[in-house]
Amino acid sequence: MLLALPVVVLGQASIEGRVPLPKGSSVSVVNKRYEIVSKGGIVSTNPPLAVVYLEGTFPKPSPAPVAQMVQKDLAFVPMLLPVQVGTKVEFPNQDDTYHNIFSYSAPKRFDLGRYRADEHPVPFQIFDVPGLETLRCDIHEHMRGLILVLDTPYFVLSGTDGVFRLTGLPPGRYTLKAWINSKTTLERPVELRDGSVTQVDFQ
Amino acid sequence: MMLVVSALTAVVIYFAERSAAATVARELERRFQTGLDAFHNVQEIRQAILVERCRALVRKSRIHAALEDDALDLLYPNAEDELRDVMADGQDQPPEQARYALQALFYRFLDRHGTVIKPPNMKRVGVLQPGEEARLSLPVVPEQLNLGYVARQLGAEAGPISEVIAMPIVSSETGEVIAAIALGFKPVDFGRGDLEIKSGLWVDDMLWLASLPDPAREAVGRAVAQSLSSGAPEHQFEISIGDTPCLLFYKLLNLGSLFPPAYEVCLYPLTELAARQGKLRWQIGGAGLLLLLGGLIASNFVSIQLSLPVEKLEHDSAENLEQRKRVEAVLDSTSEELQRSIRFSADASHQLKTPVTLLRAGLEELLVNEKLEPASREEISALVHQTLQLTSIIEDLLLLSRMDAGRLQIEFGSVDLRQLVEALLDDLGALPNVLHLTIETDFPAALLVAGENRYTSLILQNLLENARKYNQPGGRIRVEAHEDSGGWVSLTVGNTGRPIPPAAQEHIFERFHRGVVGENVPGHGLGLNLARELAHLHHGELRLVRSDETWTEFEVKFISAKPQPATEPA
Repeated sequence: MLLALPVVVLGQASIEGRVPLPKGSSVSVVNKRYEIVSKGGIVSTNPPLAVVYLEGTFPKPSPAPVAQMVQKDLAFVPMLLPVQVGTKVEFPNQDDTYHNIFSYSAPKRFDLGRYRADEHPVPFQIFDVPGLETLRCDIHEHMRGLILVLDTPYFVLSGTDGVFRLTGLPPGRYTLKAWINSKTTLERPVELRDGSVTQVDFQ
Repeated sequence: MMLVVSALTAVVIYFAERSAAATVARELERRFQTGLDAFHNVQEIRQAILVERCRALVRKSRIHAALEDDALDLLYPNAEDELRDVMADGQDQPPEQARYALQALFYRFLDRHGTVIKPPNMKRVGVLQPGEEARLSLPVVPEQLNLGYVARQLGAEAGPISEVIAMPIVSSETGEVIAAIALGFKPVDFGRGDLEIKSGLWVDDMLWLASLPDPAREAVGRAVAQSLSSGAPEHQFEISIGDTPCLLFYKLLNLGSLFPPAYEVCLYPLTELAARQGKLRWQIGGAGLLLLLGGLIASNFVSIQLSLPVEKLEHDSAENLEQRKRVEAVLDSTSEELQRSIRFSADASHQLKTPVTLLRAGLEELLVNEKLEPASREEISALVHQTLQLTSIIEDLLLLSRMDAGRLQIEFGSVDLRQLVEALLDDLGALPNVLHLTIETDFPAALLVAGENRYTSLILQNLLENARKYNQPGGRIRVEAHEDSGGWVSLTVGNTGRPIPPAAQEHIFERFHRGVVGENVPGHGLGLNLARELAHLHHGELRLVRSDETWTEFEVKFISAKPQPATEPA
């Protein structure tokens, strides 16, 4: 993962900054629990998180990246998973009960059917169309997860304070975007130079 | 004296007329009110059933997903299963259901703005003309239950008016109203007892009262429109239809509804009243004349003669009271019976299932807590499992009570027993095989029986589960089936479980009976009872064939639905 890179590689640019996030419900913060909330048709995470990504024309990944959306303790882990278009997302069940993950979202409709922890191969889907995918479980009505399919390999999940750091970026002119919820995406033009660290605050 | 007698006669006639008119008017009003009350009772029952149904509907992930994730094309297909019991399917309904119009003629979802969401296939959700469907849309999505009346197109099979109940569908996450469902019914008509009351509906500024000739209906319509323009939600007054004086009542049926106001309108011709008054006048007049002739000679008779019509009046009034009480008693008992026979399903599911679901949701919520000790987690998981058990008991009990009430009818079709058993054995195979059981089958290629798939399957599922649960480690299950020459298909499920003691054998089909071997075995003692009752509904039989040290075997018999040889697969 990009976030895991410890130092800025020479010849590559970085962006640091902060996304202003709306206030979430305090109860969940105390519990350190993340949940997907849908209010007035707007889907967001609670506490709020942002996905910051660089928009531009980038080559398709090869081989296709693989990511995991785990079901554990009757919840999706992570609650919000950003992936690049073409990513194969696996849905391993780590509970000792059946799950039936499905989605009716526009980018991809699918239904994995009922499966258990030892299901082999692990059920998966490949997401070829960018957009927001709401995941649900037919058996556990409260379970909710999000996959944000992005047409870029450069993205990162912000902290709950909105702070983000995006590294290993190619130099050039781009648009930096911050997804906050299903109806709000902020954007800023950026120009990245070799080895530089650009500050971007979405205020 | 002549003057006195004449004056008395006049006074008696005057009061007698007033009293008779007032008695009849009171009685009419009371009957009108009782009819409306009964109607409101039925509405309440219907609404209780529907509220529970909608609650269950909106808890379903797929309905949520269809409404919230912009997948409206999947809304109706997903709802279809849920609403199967509510929709009239064109087949004969049980008489009490038909009478109280408990089954819907159509349903539509309304979006979060109150506009009808078009169904992809109208045949499955009840056909409506475009104009009729448009009338279901509301200015905003309703936040509570709304009652409306929709005029149907001329010649509609469902009748001239459909009654519509619109229910909000509330998000279980945020409590927001995310949509609504509108269900259409045939309006309930209770009749108006033995009185010549004609009743109809005033909807969309039009009167629907089929039993009146056109000119009379127009006259009544004008009178109602005029009275309504004064704004009174209910009113009673006299009008003349042609030469006949009539009493007219009306009352608003849907106070506070987003649908246009609808009124129940009742018309009672006063000819009966006039006849009664004429008779009274003649009697009293005759008595007056007699009094006039004999008054001077036998003035003491006058008082006796005078009292006659008064007694008659008293008698009339007592008879009226008696009649009214009878009608009320009948209505009361009908209403109670109705409550009893219909409400149980809504009550039972609401009273029992909802708390269990809440309990399970609460427990599952606890499980999400990351700090939970492994021991507590295990304990809570076990409790979640217990709630699942409880739900299955409630479902079994509901099914049994529906059967007890004679409300479960098998829709006979041809069921492939072999396919059913193979599917159930597949399911069994998916469970952890801690006992290391071996399963043997012996089946002919085609085995069709008369039944309804879901209920036939329940019988077999119960037998197979018992054979697994009560078996011994390393034991065997054997499922055999054959068709005899008498048109019966016999299926036996045998297992190597511990024997059922002879004394217990006659009780195993009783409710809540659990075998002595069962302390550590999950179950609730309803399965065999349910299976046997279902077998009877299939016109078949379920019995224990044998149970000894080595082998316990049950046999279920179904009526064969063998196809004609020409269509039989090779």
